[in-house]
Amino acid sequence: MSMESSLVSIVVPLFNEEANVRPLVSAVRFALEDRSWELLLIDDGSRDGTITAAEAEVVRDNRVRLLRLARNYGQTTAMQAGFDHAGGEVVVSMDGDLQNDPRDIPRLLEKLGEGYDLVAGYRMRRRDPLITRKVPSWIANRLIRLITGVAIRDNGCSLKAYRRELLQKVELYSDQHRFIPAVAVGVAGARIAEIPVHHHPRRAGASKYGLSRVFKVLADLVTITMIRWFRESPLRMFAIGAAASTLLGILAMAAAIVSLVAFSPAKADALVLPGAALLLFGLAIYLIMLGLIAEVAVNRYATPVKIGPSRGPAE
Amino acid sequence: MNRNVETNGFDVSVLIPVSERPIDLETLYRETSQVLRETGYSCEFVFALEPWAESMSESLARYEEKGEPISLLRFEGGKGTTGLAKQALRHCEGRIVLVMPAYGRVKPSALPALIDAVTAGADLALARRWPRRDPRINRVQTRVLHALLARATSTRLHDVGSGVWAGRREVLEQVPLYGDFLRFLPVLAVHEGFRVEEVECPQHQSDLKARVYGPSVYLRRLLDLFALVFLTRFTHKPLRFFGLVGSVSAIAGTLVLVVVAVQRLAGQPLANRPVLLLGVLLVTLGVQAVALGLIGEIIVHLHESTGRRYRLRSKGEARGPEDGAAGSN
Repeated sequence: MSMESSLVSIVVPLFNEEANVRPLVSAVRFALEDRSWELLLIDDGSRDGTITAAEAEVVRDNRVRLLRLARNYGQTTAMQAGFDHAGGEVVVSMDGDLQNDPRDIPRLLEKLGEGYDLVAGYRMRRRDPLITRKVPSWIANRLIRLITGVAIRDNGCSLKAYRRELLQKVELYSDQHRFIPAVAVGVAGARIAEIPVHHHPRRAGASKYGLSRVFKVLADLVTITMIRWFRESPLRMFAIGAAASTLLGILAMAAAIVSLVAFSPAKADALVLPGAALLLFGLAIYLIMLGLIAEVAVNRYATPVKIGPSRGPAE
Repeated sequence: MNRNVETNGFDVSVLIPVSERPIDLETLYRETSQVLRETGYSCEFVFALEPWAESMSESLARYEEKGEPISLLRFEGGKGTTGLAKQALRHCEGRIVLVMPAYGRVKPSALPALIDAVTAGADLALARRWPRRDPRINRVQTRVLHALLARATSTRLHDVGSGVWAGRREVLEQVPLYGDFLRFLPVLAVHEGFRVEEVECPQHQSDLKARVYGPSVYLRRLLDLFALVFLTRFTHKPLRFFGLVGSVSAIAGTLVLVVVAVQRLAGQPLANRPVLLLGVLLVTLGVQAVALGLIGEIIVHLHESTGRRYRLRSKGEARGPEDGAAGSN
């Protein structure tokens, strides 16, 4: 498929980026001079002059579009809104803070043209504070690679190019934009490539990330992995937990019996170990019940398979 | 669905659910309708009545017979104010719906200001009883509730308890209403991204008594608040909440277990120490909470792929009017 002629949609979520809008649009215009492109600015409930600045750009250049979310939903939802309204065969996502460089976009597109579904950028010589940004990011990338098995060097880099068909198969919610590659591989079997991209220090405005991100990333990671593995049969996941718990319970019970038979039965052993065993058995039962609830939920939302039209025996 | 009825020329539907301690409905109707008529807005009145309130509405029936725009709707009882309002909303035809309790909260003369605020561009205008003239005890209650509300949902409203607000139809069509959340609808509307404004309204004469409720009322309010926090913050990410609770418990339990294990290695017997039970219990509870969170995530995941995730204020194309429920399939 030729990547040269088709429309490229660039999706940029903006949250309080008043000072960055204008330079961003100019940079995109400059970088994509000889292509057909559209730029979707998604205002994620900004409370500064972002909207005014963006509207001015819309008036100036009809390739720029502004989508306004009703409130602040977070980067992932803003991105999803952009994907939903993008008209191009190829969609590029990037940050609104100019830390990504639009000049990298043609290279992403070129790589995508080689037959990939998703091309992710990874930031070379990252220009961010070490402790609050780089270290958590390093840990998160390791964890993501370990758990999802998808080796992406830099999941936090927003600069990525996708084929539209891929995005239609991937649903984003919560804070999961970081995991698009992992989800893409897991759900849609996407072919993924990575190329190095430039990274600039933030010029204006403030960073919207904090350290609480680490916990959020962890929770999302667990969710993504679990859904990928157990989407079709959640009871199995809960059964694994139940089995582990039962095993521990049996061990505790056995220890209790041994100590009762071998030693004097009058001690507190008679209470503590059987108690622990009961708790563990209780947990096992509880997990099985939850697993059943999950099965019910999955079943309720499952849609019947579409079967081809029946062809009776030829007459 | 009846909700989609073309508006019949009414600017405002005044919806009054009658389920608890109403004042004289006739007086209420006369005062209110007179004020609203003077403003030039065309208004209809919709009274949603529980069965026991029927006798109170007899005096209103006369106005109905005279052909005044007033509907008396009788519903089965036990559904509470929210249930009544929900059913009655299907019969409201106005462009703007003004909801008020059947007991006076703000002076009727203040109501036009609410409608004006909506006409001027707000999606919902909430009456704030101000300045307050009722006893301190009432004000303290209001302040405590709203301090909690502000912290919990990060909305800055001062008097949800007034129960008087005017909203555009779209707001009521898009904010899900159930349980006992009619009172908190302005909060949910803020959360959905609607423009909610507060309008200061003088207090009604009958609102000046001191009010102290039974403990069950406060308990219910607290539960509502709890549900509200969860709904506004974690509906899309239940594991964030349950995961936090669960991991705190599980980590505490693990620490206990590690300590007793180390002591066991140092020679102290393990099996007769009740603290072992505590450790196991904490871990168990933690696993349970996380497991619940996972169930929540499964449900959200299944639901989100079909449901609505965000609302747009404007769509970016010249032709696009306000977009309603959005989301791809």
